[in-house]
Amino acid sequence: MNESLPWFPERASTAAVDFEWLFWYMMAVTGVAGLLVYAAMAVFCVQYRRGATSGSTPRILGSHRLELIWSIIPLFAFLSFFAWGAYVYNKAVNPPPDVATEIFVVGKQWMWKAQYPDGQRVIIGGNPANMTEAERASIGKLVLPVNRPVKITLTSEDVIHDFGIPAFRQKIDVLPMRYTTTWYEPTKTGEFHLFCDQYCGTWHSLMVGKVKVVTEEEYADWLEGVKPLQGSGNAVDGSPAREGEKLFLKLQCLSCHSANPQAKAPVLEGLYGTQVPLQGGQTVTADGAYIRESIRNPKAKVVQGWEAVMPHYDRKQVSEDDLSNLVAYIRSLKRGDTPKRTEQFPAPVGAPTTPSQSPPQPEGKK
Amino acid sequence: MSIVIADSSLAASPPPPEPEKGASNYLNVTSGFWSWALTVDHKRIGLLYLVSISLFFVAGGVAAGLVRINLLGNNPTEHILTEDQYNRAFTAHGVLMLFFFLIPAVPGVLGNFFIPMMVGAKDMAFPKLNLASWYVYMIGAMFAVWGVLAGGIDTGWTLYPPYSSRASHANVMPGVIGVFVTGFSSIMTGLNIMVTVHKMRCPGMTWGRLPLFVWSLYATSFIQLLGTPVLAVTMILLGVERSTGYGIFSPELGGDPLLFQHLFWFYSHPAVYIMILPGMGVVSEVLTCFSRKNVFGYKAVAWSSMGIAVVGFLIWAHHMFVAGISYYAALLFSMLSMLVAVPSAIKVFNWTATLYRGSITFQAPMLFALGFVVLFTVGGLTGLFLATLGTDIHLHDTYFVVAHFHFVMVGGMVLGYFSGLHFWWPKMTGRMYSDWWSRVAATIIFVGFFLTFVPQFVLGYHGMPRRYPNYPAEFQVLNVLSTAGASVLGVGYLIPAIYLTLSLYNGKKAPANPWSATGLEWQTPSPPSVHNFDSMPVVKCGPYEYAVGVDQMGRGLPEPPGEGGGPIHGYGKTGPAGPMNKETEVVG
Repeated sequence: MNESLPWFPERASTAAVDFEWLFWYMMAVTGVAGLLVYAAMAVFCVQYRRGATSGSTPRILGSHRLELIWSIIPLFAFLSFFAWGAYVYNKAVNPPPDVATEIFVVGKQWMWKAQYPDGQRVIIGGNPANMTEAERASIGKLVLPVNRPVKITLTSEDVIHDFGIPAFRQKIDVLPMRYTTTWYEPTKTGEFHLFCDQYCGTWHSLMVGKVKVVTEEEYADWLEGVKPLQGSGNAVDGSPAREGEKLFLKLQCLSCHSANPQAKAPVLEGLYGTQVPLQGGQTVTADGAYIRESIRNPKAKVVQGWEAVMPHYDRKQVSEDDLSNLVAYIRSLKRGDTPKRTEQFPAPVGAPTTPSQSPPQPEGKK
Repeated sequence: MSIVIADSSLAASPPPPEPEKGASNYLNVTSGFWSWALTVDHKRIGLLYLVSISLFFVAGGVAAGLVRINLLGNNPTEHILTEDQYNRAFTAHGVLMLFFFLIPAVPGVLGNFFIPMMVGAKDMAFPKLNLASWYVYMIGAMFAVWGVLAGGIDTGWTLYPPYSSRASHANVMPGVIGVFVTGFSSIMTGLNIMVTVHKMRCPGMTWGRLPLFVWSLYATSFIQLLGTPVLAVTMILLGVERSTGYGIFSPELGGDPLLFQHLFWFYSHPAVYIMILPGMGVVSEVLTCFSRKNVFGYKAVAWSSMGIAVVGFLIWAHHMFVAGISYYAALLFSMLSMLVAVPSAIKVFNWTATLYRGSITFQAPMLFALGFVVLFTVGGLTGLFLATLGTDIHLHDTYFVVAHFHFVMVGGMVLGYFSGLHFWWPKMTGRMYSDWWSRVAATIIFVGFFLTFVPQFVLGYHGMPRRYPNYPAEFQVLNVLSTAGASVLGVGYLIPAIYLTLSLYNGKKAPANPWSATGLEWQTPSPPSVHNFDSMPVVKCGPYEYAVGVDQMGRGLPEPPGEGGGPIHGYGKTGPAGPMNKETEVVG
């Protein structure tokens, strides 16, 4: 009970605002109607209780006029709910024509996989039977940019699920062998609940996660992989930085560029954007161009205090695509963000390995 | 103008003398196991239903208790049940309460017992079919109990495939068979009531003179007859897919899961009217009796029952607005759902108007009936939020839905059932229960109900999904409140179980007409004799002529129970009220 419920739930999307107006309009109308009925009942029960009157009651059979009034007025009230509700529903289920971002979400017992247009992937949830609470807390957030409409297309691999985000007041069933769609335009940054709303079996209540709404800049950085926002510490799967990391390990860059004191090359964490002192007293800004050059031609600019032992990598070994991924990865490395040990990603047969001082510690990451 | 309320002129005839209590009544005429197991007396069958649905009410209540206790904690370390057990508990609660308590409760117990008496017949049209319906019900119930005991069912009472047909490892088949079999019991009861109302009415009992309870059960039986076969078909198809893998609903086998939802709700939405309409009928009887008034707008209340029954068949897909149905279907079903709310609103307004200028007393049946109106109003109005497309998107499958249908089903139907049970208990058993304790119980149940389910509206508005044993920490306070309310509610249910049972042993002997009510059922001794009426009753006027003070046979009414003494205080001592010359007053 450490958290308290606010009086009003978060309104974090355009649909949420539409919902709230309609909801409170209906609350007002039904509230007034209900209270009028209760007031009449209470007054009658008190005023006409046995003993307060003579005990003789009038023979009243009804009134067509009154019945007509209290049929037609509610009917029009209800139809106004319908009409307004249809208007809100129309907006909620039909994405605007200019929606540029489409995210595919696959539900399965008991997790969600979100696939972004450029290949980034987030897994939200997982098999709760094999997860610790800490893992549950750190896994998977659907990252969305603020103030931009996003279309979500959903399908299920097994049973019916439902993808619901209360703060957006949106919800849609997720069916196997079929696509359903919904869309959001988040209006507020922050983290919001994501629930499976259609009963789907044992861990239905743990098929939950978070939606993280971020600014456009953060979103772009996150897609690039340089800013992990999806819940775990590493670059998001499928991002250039994530691809670069794999390459970084595959090329054995880590054997020299490690945080190990005996390393033969400078550690790269927090490097991007800093001023690097070079042999000869100059400095250079560690930007994409510098990093690219340092891979293609390491001897061009050698960092002060280090020997130029790095081999050069030509286009056959590292394509321009790979290079940009490596740049993105190096850009994503934060200070203290020790690159993963090679043991986690076994090196090709015959490749040199650095003996590890300690087992890999994911917790060591930021 | 003095109003003519009967075909023949009514002398100011005194109330009938207390009917001679014969040595035998329907309870003691025969005894022994077989006299009950093979009885075709509608009254005994009513009691058989009473005992069996009470057992299922207790079983379903225990499951609800487990669910609520489990919800005190929001994560597995605080839970008494594992997730699988929790899923089985809420499914058992739903299946038992809906199919084995709510649907048969009023038609099976009060309908069986009182429909023949209210229309002046000596039994149902098909007494043996009536007995068969109870046996079929019990066979179906045994399947469901087998399913629950042999590991449980974990699909939710809605049984949505492909989860129920392909994914669930639980004992789904017995539950499906149980629901399938019990459906036939419901059809038999509905058929019986419908034919009885058509063919067994005594002389003078025209359609316009039927008590509203009869009208409401007539409308109910219409739904039972037309809707339940669809459920049976659906259960067969589900069972076939689950047992043989022949694709009907599962898309991977070439089926359509939405087809199941359409079929299921085609029955299950009207089924909520099977549950609530009888409660409305009870309330119409009780409100008029305890306010000593004619019902306000007999025709409006009677026809609104039929309206609900008919329009209720056209709105099923409002359960599916976010299930992937087409946009235009959603529009249509939303609008039709608005139409069904109108007859419900008419009933509430007419009930309220019935109280106007009455002479109201607050015995337990009246308290339950007033509770019904209050809670049903909340349930009905919140239903509008779910029938409205724009709000349903968010509220669907949250605790808002849970609270809404509990307000209708429990706040409405269970209170209506309790109201009827308390109203007719003296007639059924010949004993009066404790007046004070029954009022206390009605109050506790009302308060406990509010405490239980109002927090759930707030939870639902905040988006807490239903069927969640684990939930975010910020929802915990309201869940604890709800569970606290549920314990009050549980106590409220225990008290009637005690005083009603005690009344059988040491309750005061009930007179024939303890509430001074007008219906034909009160013209028989309490408890009634085997054939209900010694001679064919002849109905002379409509029900609810409380203002004039005559029963349906045109005879005077005994003095109604006062507010001061017990319900039977003063009976026969202060003299008959007797028919009074009274003008019909026009309001509005």
